[in-house]
Amino acid sequence: MVNAYSPTPIDGYSTPTSTLQASTENIIRSHIRPEGGAQPELQKRYHFEFLLRNLRQGFPERYVSQDASQPWLIYWTLHCFSILGAGLDDQTKKRGIYCLLAVATLLNLLTPELLAGVPDFLATCQTYEGGFGNASFPGWAFEADDPESETGPAKTYDPSAPRPPLGEAHGGYTFCATASWVLLRSFIDLYYAPAIQSSAVSLPQKPHIDTRALLRWCTQMQGLPIELGGFKGRTNKLVDGCYSWWVGGCFVLVEALLGVGAHSEPSTEENAGEEEGQKSWDDIDDSLFDRKALQEYILLAGQHPAGGLRDKPPKPADAYHTLYCSAGLSAAQHRVIPSEPRRKAVISAWDAAQARARDGTGFRATSEAEREKLDALRRQTCAHVLSWAEEEGTELYVGGATNRVNATHPLFNLTTTHSDTMMAYFYGQTFPSRHFTPAKK
Amino acid sequence: MSDLLADDPEWADVVPISQYENVNPIAPIFYSEECPYAPNKDATDYFRAVVKTGEMSPRVLKLTETIIQMNPAHYTAWQHRYKTLIALRSDLEEELRLMDDIAKQFMKTYQVWHHRRLLLTAINSVDVAALELEFLRDVLEVDTKNYHTWSYRQWILAHFNNEARLWARERAYAEALLDADVRNNSAWHHRFFVVFASGVRLGDEDREQVRKRELAYVKEQIAVAPNNASAWNYLRGVLETTKTPFEELTSFVEPYTASQRPAPSEEVVDLDNPLPTEKAELPCVAALEFMADAYEKRGGDAVPKAVEIWKLLANEKDTMRKNGPRMNELNNTK
Repeated sequence: MVNAYSPTPIDGYSTPTSTLQASTENIIRSHIRPEGGAQPELQKRYHFEFLLRNLRQGFPERYVSQDASQPWLIYWTLHCFSILGAGLDDQTKKRGIYCLLAVATLLNLLTPELLAGVPDFLATCQTYEGGFGNASFPGWAFEADDPESETGPAKTYDPSAPRPPLGEAHGGYTFCATASWVLLRSFIDLYYAPAIQSSAVSLPQKPHIDTRALLRWCTQMQGLPIELGGFKGRTNKLVDGCYSWWVGGCFVLVEALLGVGAHSEPSTEENAGEEEGQKSWDDIDDSLFDRKALQEYILLAGQHPAGGLRDKPPKPADAYHTLYCSAGLSAAQHRVIPSEPRRKAVISAWDAAQARARDGTGFRATSEAEREKLDALRRQTCAHVLSWAEEEGTELYVGGATNRVNATHPLFNLTTTHSDTMMAYFYGQTFPSRHFTPAKK
Repeated sequence: MSDLLADDPEWADVVPISQYENVNPIAPIFYSEECPYAPNKDATDYFRAVVKTGEMSPRVLKLTETIIQMNPAHYTAWQHRYKTLIALRSDLEEELRLMDDIAKQFMKTYQVWHHRRLLLTAINSVDVAALELEFLRDVLEVDTKNYHTWSYRQWILAHFNNEARLWARERAYAEALLDADVRNNSAWHHRFFVVFASGVRLGDEDREQVRKRELAYVKEQIAVAPNNASAWNYLRGVLETTKTPFEELTSFVEPYTASQRPAPSEEVVDLDNPLPTEKAELPCVAALEFMADAYEKRGGDAVPKAVEIWKLLANEKDTMRKNGPRMNELNNTK
């Protein structure tokens, strides 16, 4: 067996990429916990102090480049308090389409007009590697009408034309695309043609993403043991603590798309016997990435000794990495997945009239059928979003329970308490209690 | 003499608006009272005032340039600058040249490239687009994997879509970058973008010939450095997009799954299937994974062979991925 901490093989052929990789591995390997060494500790107190310093005294002047992005600074800081386990209020904002969808979902602003073409666009951003790039061309292809288009003279879009993704597969865009795709599932089900088209109404064809390729790409992003199992954001790039969330946080979403692992069906019993033979290597846990290794990266390499978390040693800590390393740690400790019983409970308690009354868009449906379809979109989307719950008995804390951080919602990176509260308010609902244990057989 | 706008008679008619007016801010950015960031606060105070009045004038161009120099991620300043340029019917090519240094200095900032994209769209000239590709060569020389620069380059190609002036040299360009660093994934992605994702290039009409050319190219690159994830991903991409069965590649891939290169006496020279170099570190994990996938796709009797490789990878050769898709496959094939 090869040395567990072998460097990335370079086949005797070094290039700028492998040279940089090797020097990074040399730094990170010095953070590997020695055999029998002390358990790694999450320095919560130092991280609190780091966050409090920013909050109370303000951000140091090197943050001037964030001058136009101050809501982000607030979100990174406040949500990080929530993850690390100190109660504060919350506020959210994210990127591009994902930002828009997350906000529209949370605030009851979903309409078919808003979402038209979005799934098709997302699907074209998937690259041959399986992850997603940052856009596809032409960007205007799926916009219904945009008189102030930046593309100048009006163009007609030929649906048979190629629609290449722009930019290679990247962790940040892959997270945004995957979370958006999950959020849009109810919309796709309701507003696109089913596999077998009934001829009565013509609906657009369902767009398609390759979920297996996506899973493979996410898996490939986890670094080797010598990189302490941190995540990269692109093929052949370096590990960086923030991808603990952007890629590490993607796995439960991909899992939901694949339909594996959901605690929905009482299927565990009948499978139990068959799994006997595999015990040697798949009894560790049923996640699709190495949760233990990711925690080690964050605890051993991600923490700055003076407080705050970081990209990698020897870099300084900053607000952005402090949040996304903490969120990644949370994703590696807890398995938050859709619960079918909870989804059903939300659906049966749903008050459609309230949700309609509190719709923030002023959208006017032209027919009763259209109105009911929109009711269904709100109900299904909400019920799905609210169904995400921690799977009991699957938490895993490297370094012991004192390192525990709170679970965070995989779609929003907010605590479920916060997203539940926001949605209860904006949809005018009283949701069933979260202390709901899925029936176990 | 102070450089502050507050002391500048040209700005005497404007009442600056400070950022945290009438609020007790949480988590403010702490601008030092001394240089260098006092000018930033001063400039943004005046900027907020001109946004409020909607002023679009030459002095606004100077003001936004000052802000952008200090904070190139200030998207509102970029946006207002663009609107002002259009309103004043400014020379947009001159603006491009003015922004060249800023682009090089702040190449990791998305706004820098978005601004150029707006300018190129408005100028709407293939000549200018061709010059822009040249400029991007210089930029990418400094940072060969700069995400926004690559994405912008690809946008130029697709938007102006001119074979002779723009597309013609792109594959050679990606190839030159791969000659310099065969592990540059941005260059691999660019090659795929040019050859497969964006339609058919002039001279590439014979798709079977293109398929063969690309397979030959990627095999050669794998032979040079077998443990290169970028090249294996490209190979998989070519196979998927040309609907070539994995099976067709197994005689190429197999030598990379052995723990040693074949002895020189046993070596069969097969130009279509280059062998790993002598320094190759074998077996190559990507090759094992490829073979397992090929067996799984073949199905039937071949599936146990796939399972065997998955176990080898999970337990020994690639332990970090023991929980990934392979476990998933394994559960599905039970």
